[in-house]
Amino acid sequence: MSTFGQLVLSGIFIGSIYALMSMGLTLIFGVLRIVNFAHGEFLMLGMYGAWAITRLFGLNPYVAAIAVVPAMFLFGAIVHQLVVRPGLDKPHLVVVFATMGLSIFMQNVALMIMTADLWDVAPIFSRSVTIGPFYFKAELLLGFVVTIVCTFFLRWLIRTTYLGKAIRATVQDGEAAMLMGIPVPRIFLITFAGGSALVGLAACIMMPLFSVFPTVGLNFVLIAFVIVVLGGMGSIEGALLGGICIGVVQSLSSYYVAPAYGQMFYFILFLLVMIFRPNGLLGQKGAATIGIND
Amino acid sequence: MSGGVTHQLSGRRALQFFPRRGTPFSVLEFLLLIVCISLAGVGLPQNLQDVAVLTFLWAGLALAWNIAGGYAGLISFGHAAFFGIGAYTSTILFVRAGITPWIGIWCGAVLTGAFGALLALICARLRGPFLILSTLAAAEVVRIGALNWASLTGGPEGLSIPPVPGVANMVFASKATYVVIMLLFLLGVYAITKFLEGSRYGYYLFSVRDDADAASAAGVNPLAVRTAAMALSAGLTGIGGSLFAQYFLYLDPTFVISPEISFQFALLAAVGGLGTAIGPVLGSFLITPMSELLRSYLGSQAAGLHLVIYSALLIVVMLYFPGGIAGALARLAGRRNKP
Repeated sequence: MSTFGQLVLSGIFIGSIYALMSMGLTLIFGVLRIVNFAHGEFLMLGMYGAWAITRLFGLNPYVAAIAVVPAMFLFGAIVHQLVVRPGLDKPHLVVVFATMGLSIFMQNVALMIMTADLWDVAPIFSRSVTIGPFYFKAELLLGFVVTIVCTFFLRWLIRTTYLGKAIRATVQDGEAAMLMGIPVPRIFLITFAGGSALVGLAACIMMPLFSVFPTVGLNFVLIAFVIVVLGGMGSIEGALLGGICIGVVQSLSSYYVAPAYGQMFYFILFLLVMIFRPNGLLGQKGAATIGIND
Repeated sequence: MSGGVTHQLSGRRALQFFPRRGTPFSVLEFLLLIVCISLAGVGLPQNLQDVAVLTFLWAGLALAWNIAGGYAGLISFGHAAFFGIGAYTSTILFVRAGITPWIGIWCGAVLTGAFGALLALICARLRGPFLILSTLAAAEVVRIGALNWASLTGGPEGLSIPPVPGVANMVFASKATYVVIMLLFLLGVYAITKFLEGSRYGYYLFSVRDDADAASAAGVNPLAVRTAAMALSAGLTGIGGSLFAQYFLYLDPTFVISPEISFQFALLAAVGGLGTAIGPVLGSFLITPMSELLRSYLGSQAAGLHLVIYSALLIVVMLYFPGGIAGALARLAGRRNKP
């Protein structure tokens, strides 16, 4: 029983890290409906940034977030202007292929500059945390706390602030939003850049837990998309729930079935949700089709 | 223009992405055909034969993908699963049961066709990014399954075909033979695509792709049409997979069923021009030799540089020529301005 509890709790913690990594995509894909296949490479870039700052200045990766998050905001803004925006008035497939090109581009630039070596940072905390009979890496617990804080912050931002309302209005009906005086192109820019900044934050939280290498994003990008869709497109708390589901499924199936099958189970879970509940776990009805022209 | 019906249905701007049907045969197609056959027939220098084999094979596979992605509007990023299942079926039959690949290829085609139909039925309700992600997830399930079902597939160590040349083994000593086989595959898929374009079923496909509601109101069953297109596309991809296995004589799941392979099919077709027969061929003829040659010349000094150039080109083509090379050529020829 204590094994089971340990597995579930580990799953929840690791899942919350996945959820944090998906928050940015929830804004970019869930809210704006921009299929950003380079999301994993944004994470890779953020992780290299956190790693470089840790290495060069001897800071810890969490402090590096102060520099990485604004830098990723800027990077997101540049990518939006150069790669995403020219494709927005075209069929969604154009953006899919353009961001896929960007993903290959970033992977190989990273390969040329950083080589294929794995880099990591030293563990931050020397001791693990004990809760009752269970043990955890302190880095995981910290990631969990950051994720919860982020979820509440984003929920507040989307639900109550002027910016959040403007974002939702833009997605529901861009033309009407523009007529109401909302600067639609700027809203897209800010949301996209904000999503990138969130990935930067996730990268700093993940740096002590995972190694960074040029194709690290590939391991995470599919999980991120699965979580965004699973939670219900654009639902912040849905993404948290989706992430936790994925984490628990992975943790339990790795232990009880076989480690190699962990990934398989969450892809099957994803397909089942797509077949029977295409709006996701917490998505509102019809969420799957808003803003998508096929 | 012959595609009048599709033209009228394609009123919405978003659908202009898919060009309308062209003339039965163009000068370009004849030129390409002559180039291909002379390449295969006259004989190439040893080092270029490899490039020709890959160019023809990828062109055929991009065409097969295009039947689902371009003609039926089923954008799949899971075709590597069909590629892998086709490759593994013929190879397993050959290595474990001694059945000649000449028969195994067709078994693989039938199996992948059935799997394609199943996937199309599962994903029947999904559109746009959801379809893309579901096909990607399905391919990942197949990849992880193949990786772990070691008693059948050899697992991560992969599966080798004994390099014993012989017609019955479908293994040949000279690469020129492979050039001819791949060219036949390419021409076969091209002929099927061209036939589809002019057939009644082709019109069904276009109508379902452009407006499924209008098509079903006109008596076309979108589900049946889509499922058949996916099955055909998957079956042809399976054949390509078997040919790939017979050429490389080695299979492992992390390469054969990787998402990169799926992306490759889609990218070649998209760069060339979705929903045209000539597009995927042009895409492969431009990109495959370019990336193979860049890789062989630059590979040693700068790992990844060829992919940097390739991906930058891809971004520019997609953003500024969303109709791909075929679309750009058509625009250049002024064909689009005709009613």
